[in-house]
Amino acid sequence: MHIDFTTEQLELQQRIRSYLEDLITPALRAELDHAGAQEGGGPEFRKALRKMGEDGWIALSWPRELGGGEATPMEQYIFTEEVTRIGFPYPFLTTESIGPVLARHAPPELQETLVKGILQGKLVFAIGYSEPEAGTDLASLKTRAVREGDEWVINGQKIWTSLADYADYIWLAARTDPDEPRHKGISVFVVPTSDKGFSVSPIRTLGDVRTNVTYYQDIRVPANHLIGGLNQGWKLITGQLNRERLSLVNHGALNQLYEQVARWAAETPCADGGRLIEKPWVQDNLARVYSGLEALKLVCWKQAWAMTDGSLQMADASVAKVYGTEFFVEAYRLLLEITGEGGVLKAGSAGAPLDGALERRYRTGSILTFGGGTNEVQREIIAAAGLAMPRRR
Amino acid sequence: MDFSLTEEQQEVQDLAQRILGDQVTNESLRGQDAGGYYDEARWRELAEAGLLGIAIPEAHGGMGFGFETLCLLVEQVGATVAPVPVIPALVGAGMVVSRFGGAGPRDQWLPGLADGSHLLSVATVDAQSAPVGWVDCRAEVSASGGWQLTGTKYCVPHADRAVRVVLAARGPEGVQLFLVDPRASGVSLAPGRSTAGEAQWQMALEEAPAEELVAAAQGEEAWRWLLERLQAAWCMMAVGVAEKAMRMTAQYTSERKQFGVPIATFQAVGQRAADCYIDVQCLRLVTQQAVALLEQEKPATLQVQVAKIWAGEVTHRVSQAAQHLHGGAGVDRDYPLFRYCLWCKQAELSLGNSSQLRNELGKVLAQHYLAA
Repeated sequence: MHIDFTTEQLELQQRIRSYLEDLITPALRAELDHAGAQEGGGPEFRKALRKMGEDGWIALSWPRELGGGEATPMEQYIFTEEVTRIGFPYPFLTTESIGPVLARHAPPELQETLVKGILQGKLVFAIGYSEPEAGTDLASLKTRAVREGDEWVINGQKIWTSLADYADYIWLAARTDPDEPRHKGISVFVVPTSDKGFSVSPIRTLGDVRTNVTYYQDIRVPANHLIGGLNQGWKLITGQLNRERLSLVNHGALNQLYEQVARWAAETPCADGGRLIEKPWVQDNLARVYSGLEALKLVCWKQAWAMTDGSLQMADASVAKVYGTEFFVEAYRLLLEITGEGGVLKAGSAGAPLDGALERRYRTGSILTFGGGTNEVQREIIAAAGLAMPRRR
Repeated sequence: MDFSLTEEQQEVQDLAQRILGDQVTNESLRGQDAGGYYDEARWRELAEAGLLGIAIPEAHGGMGFGFETLCLLVEQVGATVAPVPVIPALVGAGMVVSRFGGAGPRDQWLPGLADGSHLLSVATVDAQSAPVGWVDCRAEVSASGGWQLTGTKYCVPHADRAVRVVLAARGPEGVQLFLVDPRASGVSLAPGRSTAGEAQWQMALEEAPAEELVAAAQGEEAWRWLLERLQAAWCMMAVGVAEKAMRMTAQYTSERKQFGVPIATFQAVGQRAADCYIDVQCLRLVTQQAVALLEQEKPATLQVQVAKIWAGEVTHRVSQAAQHLHGGAGVDRDYPLFRYCLWCKQAELSLGNSSQLRNELGKVLAQHYLAA
């Protein structure tokens, strides 16, 4: 076994780091610091994303005929980790999750526009699955698509449609056969947000992350915008969710936060003498985060390797999702404790440790334990696929 | 990046699985409790298959593979709770004699260890709850010019059966490693049994004669080298034990019916089993990382500590979940699960527990950032 990056992969990591440092200009930083643009969508964000596409990073592991670099998923993982580590709101669901599903199922003419558009950094997708009455029980969704001639007419409402305020397309699940039971009558569409029947209203969340309610009123899309076959949507959705889980957790960003807090604790004097990091309780918290991070890193590496090796197991994505998201929550708590009473101070406050970075992060943490497939359902998948335990519905 | 086994490693794994999987049963284990959990026939069988020599150089009758391959055997011993002292004998003695011993000790002790004609063991505990590898035992030059040792070693596995025990003592110039004959004058053995049934002796040394294995110039380095491998081997043992306890639980709950259905179908049962699965996956990965780094002789101190921290926590959680989900069967000595729970506890407490190692790890991390 060789459980580390190869020399070439380490060189690639360095190359990506210096590339990204140049790419994240002060103008882009300023834009991303501005409330409302933290999740991307501003002109500087668009410019940077297109540049990453032009320079071949988004398509690093893709086939050559789609303009890809034919590297392995391991190299792609290194890029995704670095780009999220640096704080760029990389649209990883579009690039890592919808992109591959589209490449597999979209007709040739859409490959040309949509898949290449994603890989060139020109297109961002939002995912339209959940509805006010269809969350974990997604198969009960009610948004309708009705065939009229060469077109589908879509009507309905979605919720938690993150990025929909600037996305170019919605990856939308809709009911195409009301007579088929539940998941058998669902299809997936790509819906342009430029359509006049599309509208968005914001939901402000605990962590200041914006998400949306989206409305679809008599939206007409051509027949070829139905992806993967009539009433075949469920397979696409579960396939996409599996890939989504793989890309939801990575090691780089939390590792960077851990290092920031450790450096801060080493610089910060203690009222009763010495530096904060010399306190046994601080060391214990750091050691807990460090040992959890090591496992997180290895879970991610193992997955990227298994994707390359073709040995990825059904339960693996769920393991990564449950472990990673629950560890994030715990790690934020342990790191926030280190910053003491000042940990409650928001960014911009006088004396806020690390300018309130942890104060914001802990508020965003809870989204991931239920987003992308709630962790209880993931544990059911693990029990079934990993342990062969019989399940009831 | 490569998580796969080589062909040779797969063969070793298959062989170990065949020998231990077929032969070690709850019935056969019951017979071993009186004898301090040492199955002579199984040990001989491993010797005949060549498996005792996995990490012993070919020149000394072994296969000449490394620590990583040896750990595949250790994992299988964990998965079967076989009464074979692979960690003290093959890691604790075999690896350090192979790596640091001179030609004399290598020729004298390795071929017999590989072919099963004699047993070696290791003593790592000089003081309870002390830092891992703490050395209190004193070494001095005797009137006749040889080395003699004074001190007490706790929890020495199979000291009564071993022809030599590897141990550390502090000489005039620092830590040295020695081989001690447990039957020599000046050595007295007091019997003990571990929670898992293993014979563990308290070994009192009173000017006991000892053969030097590693001199002071390299003693501390060799001792740390050995301790890290022992810790990693215990993590691998924990992987084998915990994974099997988890699989037994999944199977038992899938067969056991209450309210007319297998209890595995209850979400509360499935969720707790899934947590075990996540735990075991994480433990396996941090252990594989530590073992791979040690195999390549790369710095691995932090990674070994991380693995042992995980090992202590995961063995505890999985053992308790397995017993709980089994209900009465989990504590019934006619059903094999209880042995896995006992070995979980032994793996948890051997060579450093989680709280202690987290404390050590925290200090090292703090030093790193204070120095930066």
